[in-house]
Amino acid sequence: MEPFEKDELTDRELDGMLAQWKAPSAPARLKAAVFGERRLPWWRRLWSGSIRVPLPVACALVALVAIVAVAMARAPRVVVRTVRVEVPVVQERIVYRDRPAVAEAAWRPVRELRPRIIRGSNAQ
Amino acid sequence: MTPEAAFDQYSQSVYRFVYRMTRREDVAEDIAQETFLALVRSPERWNAARGSMKTYLLAIARNLVLKRYRDYRAEEQLEEEIGIVPDPRPSLEIGTAVAGAIAELPGLQQEAVILFEYEGVTLEELAQIVAADVGTVKSRLHRARVRLRKSLAPYRTGVKAHGTV
Repeated sequence: MEPFEKDELTDRELDGMLAQWKAPSAPARLKAAVFGERRLPWWRRLWSGSIRVPLPVACALVALVAIVAVAMARAPRVVVRTVRVEVPVVQERIVYRDRPAVAEAAWRPVRELRPRIIRGSNAQ
Repeated sequence: MTPEAAFDQYSQSVYRFVYRMTRREDVAEDIAQETFLALVRSPERWNAARGSMKTYLLAIARNLVLKRYRDYRAEEQLEEEIGIVPDPRPSLEIGTAVAGAIAELPGLQQEAVILFEYEGVTLEELAQIVAADVGTVKSRLHRARVRLRKSLAPYRTGVKAHGTV
């Protein structure tokens, strides 16, 4: 049996020993790492900012871009050509002719209507 | 309390806690940064009625440490009782021996000792941070101290003499 095997520290001795373990202080850069970027104006944060993207999402985005790129490369090219076609256009012209003015009296209603039937060749 | 004021007041405590849990300065820096960024992004999540800012921040840091444990180790190791293998090397510095002895504790006892002994949280605050009741954390602390009394006993002479073995 070892000489110290049954030995135990008292509470006071243990407290004294525990106090011997010193931890280092937090580095000064820690504060800059937490708050540094927040102090920058928004337009500067745009240039230096970063976002965390979960790996599955990033992989899915890369795969999507690759699929779209391949699909676009394989798709048949549509060539748009402009051809000039001559189309005949019927041109109309409006011609105005001078007519003698109608006297106002000519538009008065007649006093007695005498219809007269004229038979033409179509009536047969 | 603004996030900046909380940082000024508690950043050392959060950093030291994570450092003692992980024993790595780079990890302590990363997790302390994550902890305060969480506060900066959603300061409304802290509810003064549910606990102090210190317990809130230490609870965030603890969760991040646990997440790291989960990422790098099997989760059950936290609960596992690891056999203590004292390393009574004569040249070993006591601080290193203490760190080693605490590292040998199960994870839940480790965090209890570190928060209670080094960060000065009360039993009630400790219970809030680790989401357990006061009796449970008291028991964890007791068991941890019993184990430490044994594992650090070989270094007793050194403490009495001049701080190192």
